[in-house]
Amino acid sequence: MSIPPETLMAYADGELDPIAAKRVEKAMAADPDLARQVAEHRALAEQLRGTFASVAEAPVPESLRAPLEASAKVASLDEARAPRSGRSTHWFRNAGALAAMLVVGVMVGQLVPHDGGPVAEKRGALVASGTLAHALNTQLAATQPEDAPVRMLVSFRDRQGAYCRTFAGSMANGIACHQGDGWRIRQLRAGHAEAATAYRQAGSEAAAVLADAQTMMAGAPLSADQEARARADHWR
Amino acid sequence: MLALLPRLRRFAHALARNAADADDLCQAAIERALKSRTQWQPGTRLDSWMYRIMRNLWIDTARARSRAAQTFVAEEAGASVGDRGDKAVEAAIELGNVGRAMNQLPDEQREAVALVLVEGFAYKEAAEILDIPMGTLTSRLVRGREALMTKLGEAA
Repeated sequence: MSIPPETLMAYADGELDPIAAKRVEKAMAADPDLARQVAEHRALAEQLRGTFASVAEAPVPESLRAPLEASAKVASLDEARAPRSGRSTHWFRNAGALAAMLVVGVMVGQLVPHDGGPVAEKRGALVASGTLAHALNTQLAATQPEDAPVRMLVSFRDRQGAYCRTFAGSMANGIACHQGDGWRIRQLRAGHAEAATAYRQAGSEAAAVLADAQTMMAGAPLSADQEARARADHWR
Repeated sequence: MLALLPRLRRFAHALARNAADADDLCQAAIERALKSRTQWQPGTRLDSWMYRIMRNLWIDTARARSRAAQTFVAEEAGASVGDRGDKAVEAAIELGNVGRAMNQLPDEQREAVALVLVEGFAYKEAAEILDIPMGTLTSRLVRGREALMTKLGEAA
């Protein structure tokens, strides 16, 4: 069985859905040359990441910071937009929140009753439990296994400074933020169980979740190192 | 936006051929973004939007420059593609063999490689930033990577 170079590359990058990935793995087992090519793809990716990491870690020159800092004093992006949409924004946000609660309500019905399910109700709040709580506590986006039942996408700090993590699994996608000693579910959407395509499109299946994460985020998403440190600190 | 700066700067360095051009590009992108910030749709990803602005600026400059430099193709083909010597040193960013190999890629492959391998975007997201179909992205990405492997293999 021959594997097109694009597919082999997509496999190396973790972009294939589980079925297509299995097919590639089977072919790799039979053909050491394919396995070698996958290793080469990953080594190249690692080399590029490593090389350019020095740029992101270098201090940003004053000439680049200055225009942004000056404009931040005048108005933030959010503030710049707020007056334009006026009151309708608030109505829209409330409607969105209401709709989200409805979605959550429907999904909780499906998720909660199962013993050890991913979501539980605790003093009126939705919290992660079982496998989901475990994954949120322990799994790092950079090192998680390709076939993890729940995958961690972006982690970040919200405006209150709490660690939040976006996750995607077959049953649900969502955002959970660390609060007290657990993970409070801030958003929950139906998962990708029925949406498997040739390319997994990790971006698209959780695009809505990621877009919402973007609006909750204070600053940039955590880097792999920051994520590892946050875990070491028990997400506090 | 300030928090995105290190990542944007990294992307600029992956696209531009030397450190001075990269910071010029970064600066131009920030200015453009500030000017047109009301066009950003809240709820969409700010980073993708910024990357798109930067990439479009880069394409514009690259096109203008290649028109101007058509008579100097020989220089481009040499291995000494890189810093202008003066300003580049100030940034103290040395990308070495990898940077040189990236510089030799055609623009369309370089931007695909930069978004997916350097910036870590999913294929789908990178295709959206570049406004091209997924299939086009993957084929450019494959060709770019193969060329990089060959070049870096020679350099090693």
